[in-house]
Amino acid sequence: MIQLFHLAKTYPPNHRALTDITLEIAQGEFIFISGASGAGKSTLLKLLFREEEPSEGQILIDGKNVTRLGSRGVAQLRRKIGLVFQEFKLLPGLTALENVALAAEVLGKSKRESRTKAYQLLRELGLKERYDAKPLALSAGEQQRVAIARALINDPRLILADEPTGNLDAEVADEIMRLLLKMRDRGATILIATHDLGMIARYGKRVLTLQRGVLADSKGPPAAQGGRR
Amino acid sequence: MKISLIAFVLRRVRSNLRQLFWTHVLTAGTMAMTLFVFGGFMLVEINLQRLLKGWGDQIQIMAYLNNGLPAEDVRALIKRIDAMPEVERVRHISQEQAWRDFQTALGSQSGLLDGLPREILPASIEISLKPAQRDVAVVEQLAERLKREHGIATVEYPQEWVERLALAVLAVEWVKWMLGGVLFLATFFIVGSTVKLAVLARKDEVEIMQLVGASEELIQAPFVIEGMIQGLAGAAISIAGLWLAHGLIQNELPSMSGFWMPLGELQFLDPSSLALLLVIGWLLGAAGSLISLRRLVRSWNA
Repeated sequence: MIQLFHLAKTYPPNHRALTDITLEIAQGEFIFISGASGAGKSTLLKLLFREEEPSEGQILIDGKNVTRLGSRGVAQLRRKIGLVFQEFKLLPGLTALENVALAAEVLGKSKRESRTKAYQLLRELGLKERYDAKPLALSAGEQQRVAIARALINDPRLILADEPTGNLDAEVADEIMRLLLKMRDRGATILIATHDLGMIARYGKRVLTLQRGVLADSKGPPAAQGGRR
Repeated sequence: MKISLIAFVLRRVRSNLRQLFWTHVLTAGTMAMTLFVFGGFMLVEINLQRLLKGWGDQIQIMAYLNNGLPAEDVRALIKRIDAMPEVERVRHISQEQAWRDFQTALGSQSGLLDGLPREILPASIEISLKPAQRDVAVVEQLAERLKREHGIATVEYPQEWVERLALAVLAVEWVKWMLGGVLFLATFFIVGSTVKLAVLARKDEVEIMQLVGASEELIQAPFVIEGMIQGLAGAAISIAGLWLAHGLIQNELPSMSGFWMPLGELQFLDPSSLALLLVIGWLLGAAGSLISLRRLVRSWNA
């Protein structure tokens, strides 16, 4: 599903965030991207959803060259991707339900359809009673579940999560991980950037380890042979 | 655009107008102030043009006739002048009439004329021009032609007045465009800055919409519509302000006389000028929002 060829990113004036990354990820894989702070985990994710453009190399997602997309193409790409961030990125003025439904409404789904699906997702994620609350009235774990519901509402084929459990205690973090595994079981490809080695060890999935922008290790069978695991 | 997307945009507009009410009031107020100045200038211009036209209506050419010109020649001369395309009407003032007019003008001092021969004042033809011909070049050309006419001794016209009038009209035209241009530019930047405030307050919203795959048009549409609403509101407020100012000045007018007499009643902006103000407000709001938004989003994405 994802193919990276000699991918590199250099920030001005001369900071190399990623160097010569070549790898392949199959549909339905669940992958951790690990590494210390500044290793390039977030940069790699940003390149995948085209928040950043690579300095060198190519990215193919579903056979489409992401590096050559215009603004319309980038919008189309992001509709297939569910994004989850450490800082949740919820709009404080909207309720949990409205935050989730927003992602469907911008794609042209009706208010009723969007909100019905948003409610179903929130119920599924254990927020049935909190759908009308605004983000600031929710706990960190609840906010992250709202963000996950928003990432899932358009049935994405790919979920990119940047430190999704970084602000959560261990119990809530495990709950979030179980949710993401459930999404993988429904066929989505999941990429999680984290520096939490304990969590990586607990789930025993394929791990891409970055060290100062270089792909140092790719544990687990090659994606081309594997697929879901 | 799909109906559901239009409905989404309108919901965003409604919610944003509510959430950032005072920012919108500030923007609309700023636009109202600048449009008030511009509209005020339009008001002055319209009335100044009327004043100039009033003065122009008073411009006449006096052709003084040779003494002893036979009545037949006078009639023929009047006929020829009346047939000239620039001329609206002619009035013959005989030597008798000139004498009587002068006596009337002197009033109680008319005794000064005692003992003077009545032929001392020449007969003349008073020539009024058609409104479209009340122009310095036309007046000068016509005067030259009249001087060549048989029976005319001298031709007089208020040359200085005509030239000043032409200069005043030119000055009003220039000031209109120069001040108008400066005002438009100033309004555009002020609107751009206040819109930037509104956009910055919603930076997160723009970023999240981009992240979930909203198209550029969908992200921009609520801002542009809000800009249009602000522009129209600003223009409407400025029109209300102008109407009040017009009423206040109108009340002062009865005490004006002489110089201001041709003005009569102070005229308010006509429907096309009012529509122009609304359109300017609408366009400034939309363009200010769009350009400001694009520049900001580009800087975030850079």
